Amino acid sequence: MYRQKYLFLTPGLIALVAIILFPLLFTIRVSFSGWDVYNPGLSWKGGQNFSRLMADSRYWAALGRLSVMAVGTVLIQYVLGFALALLVWRDVIARRFFRVLFLVPMMTTPVIMSVIWRTIFHESLGPLNPIIRGLGLPGVPWLSDPVWAFVAVMLVEIWQWTPFMFLLLLAGLLSLPSEPYLAARIDGAGPVRTFFSVTFPGLAAISVGAIVIRLIEASKILDTVYVMTSGGPGESTETASYYIYIRGLRDFQIGYSAALSIIYLVIMIVALTIIAKLLVRFLVRPAP
Amino acid sequence: MTHQPLDPEPRAPVSRTLKLALKYGFILFWSAFVVFPFLWALTTSFKDANGVTNGATWLPWLQYQPSTQGWASLFGGPGGTNIVRPYLNSIWVTLGASVVSITLGTLAAYGLSRFTFRFLFFRNADITFFFISQRIMPPIVLAIPFFLMLRALGLLDSLAGLILVYVALLMPIAVWVMVDFFNSIPRGLDEMAWMDGCDPITTFFRVILPNAVPGLVVAGMFCVIFGWNDFFFAFTLTFTQTQLLPVSIVALNSSVTPWWALSASALVSIAPLVLLAFVVERFLSKGGLAGAVR
Amino acid sequence: MLEIHDLTHAEDGVTHLDHVSARLAPGTLTTILGRTGAGKTSLLRTIAGLLVPDSGEVSLDGQGWSRLPPWKRPTAMVTQQFINYPHLSTLDNVAFPLVRKGLRWPAARDSARAMLDRVGLSAMVGRRPSELSGGQQQRVAIARALVKQAPVLLLDEPFVNLDYKLREDLREELVDMLRNESGLIVLYASTEPREALSLGDRILLMAEGRLLDDGEPQQVFGAPATIEAARVISDPPINILPLTVGAHVAAGPFGAQDAGDLIRGLAPGEYRLGLRAADLRPGGRHVARVVLSEVSGSETVTHLDLAGFALVMHEKSVVTHPPGAEIAVDANLARGFIYGADGTLLRREAPHGQD
Repeated sequence: MYRQKYLFLTPGLIALVAIILFPLLFTIRVSFSGWDVYNPGLSWKGGQNFSRLMADSRYWAALGRLSVMAVGTVLIQYVLGFALALLVWRDVIARRFFRVLFLVPMMTTPVIMSVIWRTIFHESLGPLNPIIRGLGLPGVPWLSDPVWAFVAVMLVEIWQWTPFMFLLLLAGLLSLPSEPYLAARIDGAGPVRTFFSVTFPGLAAISVGAIVIRLIEASKILDTVYVMTSGGPGESTETASYYIYIRGLRDFQIGYSAALSIIYLVIMIVALTIIAKLLVRFLVRPAP
Repeated sequence: MTHQPLDPEPRAPVSRTLKLALKYGFILFWSAFVVFPFLWALTTSFKDANGVTNGATWLPWLQYQPSTQGWASLFGGPGGTNIVRPYLNSIWVTLGASVVSITLGTLAAYGLSRFTFRFLFFRNADITFFFISQRIMPPIVLAIPFFLMLRALGLLDSLAGLILVYVALLMPIAVWVMVDFFNSIPRGLDEMAWMDGCDPITTFFRVILPNAVPGLVVAGMFCVIFGWNDFFFAFTLTFTQTQLLPVSIVALNSSVTPWWALSASALVSIAPLVLLAFVVERFLSKGGLAGAVR
Repeated sequence: MLEIHDLTHAEDGVTHLDHVSARLAPGTLTTILGRTGAGKTSLLRTIAGLLVPDSGEVSLDGQGWSRLPPWKRPTAMVTQQFINYPHLSTLDNVAFPLVRKGLRWPAARDSARAMLDRVGLSAMVGRRPSELSGGQQQRVAIARALVKQAPVLLLDEPFVNLDYKLREDLREELVDMLRNESGLIVLYASTEPREALSLGDRILLMAEGRLLDDGEPQQVFGAPATIEAARVISDPPINILPLTVGAHVAAGPFGAQDAGDLIRGLAPGEYRLGLRAADLRPGGRHVARVVLSEVSGSETVTHLDLAGFALVMHEKSVVTHPPGAEIAVDANLARGFIYGADGTLLRREAPHGQD
């Protein structure tokens, strides 16, 4: 009777299957091949790419670095985004101006901003070191020191994506009902207790959503690294995506990079699923 | 009867002043952090080689002699590349992919929100998850098959090829926003339309779509943001014919130090989306996003 | 003639319709009376085609509807929620179904304007539904349902979400309007026995998806066919008491001298007695303790405890019975209904009026 329902779903579904599922299956097939510059094509090498991958310490280091970078930046973004959302939630001068301003970075193109940030981090010509020296501190070798380069990339990620947390959390705050706050005031709860017993539980679900979405996006970090440091100095800012990019599109080891991609995707899905489950269990619980 | 305030604020005025100072201090600090790169890019865009190599300066005339060569380079001046073509390309690809994604995504979302589907052991929830889960796919995983697929179709380095790829990128966002939005429209409305003689297709176009404009705006906003700001696919799937904005600006990055050209083109590239922030804020303050982000 | 044949529908293990059959003639208003969850809405939705039954069929004048989707069925419906098209003006809301039937907008708007005039909304034609009050929104919904002149009109507790006074007024208006529409088959779902009794030419009594009784209001109310039916149709609730006939006669707390003619001709055994709350009255030999007493309008409903039996007494006057007070009560057992152990009515001959 409702045969028309397929007219709604199928066009989108077919498009997505054709554009994504097919390439993904193809990647899986390629990961068992020895496709490279010299032997392009779907030869069969069995699990060779995967055993090579297991011993590829550079790959695992890149994955570890990615985890630190993703979890670190997302947590900082969450705390800052929450703080900013609370600050411009109510009782603040020029509230709407600050809201717009705080949203702006997420609207900008990450690679383009990275190009600008690279000039800012420039050791001799950039504006950042003069400011730091003005505070009486020594200048920082931003992009030539392994640790500082890592910090610089994280700083840019935080600048870019804290607004996303801010957006979701502020939208959540604005949709909170006002009755619990009235009740808390009648009970004589101070601001700290009100926050932990009313505000935070009310935003728990949206917090989990925001953190998971950001973790997904952060695990894909590639653009920023490519533009700012090209993974360097050395391999100090090389993320999983960037390493796969080097192997696949620079060295043209298509088969091997496909194997790297598949394992990367599997690890990502497993890790994010576990994290999402844990977050739901520990954050989203019934209000006391 | 005297009116008893609910919150008598018994704390000392000193700590209140301190709290206010901290609050506005942090707001101003963050505001400075946010505008810092923009101000730097703005001042740099008016420098020439001398202005850049003399170190970090901010004030034109006082600290450096302003020059318009950075802005002239937008049209192919010294040190820059003409970004008019990439700009138009970016507009076409973003709009084209957004329109296709929203069309397909909205139709699919409506179907998923209103009817029961079953393919093998996949139910509605699984199909919805399949759509949305595509966002988890790292670009690098898809880059090589996309490359080979577009090459096979003869669509490498073409607008159509990029739009095709971006549809896969943006449709999950459209489905995500619109499924939630349609779920917030009571089914009774559809049923009333059926009772009034509309079949599902007519119901969708005559009754549901006119009431879905807020959802479409939010979905459109997200699609435009993610489409306009993508770099990696534009970078791997095009060469010289259909460069998009981010690619042509990153190309400047590798050359000597045309910071003025780089800054000017960066500013004009991000300008349209910065304006979108105002739209997002309007929705946010009117509560229109609350439903969309849950 | 609308024929409902053996409709059955279950979902997630809950039966909403259990072999329901009925034949509804044009020009009658039939109320479907039942508590929430009795299957009233399921029945209406099945007729409208919004619900596909597991088995059974609906047909109009011999034409089966089972392959007819909702948008092709000649039915109109008004639901509990005030549903109108938010993006259209009041006028276009009412014109919309006519446009879907093939009329051009100007002609449809003319008819819509006339219909809005009839529901008293001619001043509101340009407004959006969101700018109207709840009562006005429901008037628009009624106008939209009537304007199509569909032969089958389904009303699913249309006024339940309105306040009391408005509900009464709108109900009156609706009855007046329906009187002018000849040949309509109207089904009106209700949870209120009084509404059902005063409104309908006929009552379908439902509980747990089953049709308990089907007949004219006098008949269905006057002699409820089963205890279950008696419970559904009685407001305030009917008293159901165990009745023992034999050497010793007892009807709950009442004895042989109260029973009088009631048990004449009954074989000895166990029965159950249905006694309407109105058939208890103050004064008499029995002393009961007041548990709770509520005054509603000009009537008083009192819950009593008499020798361990919970009883309900209905007085058509405003009386104050403080909780805990002891009052004398009497029962007019002669007006009671006697049910067998299986819950079916044994005798229907007593002339019970509707009062």
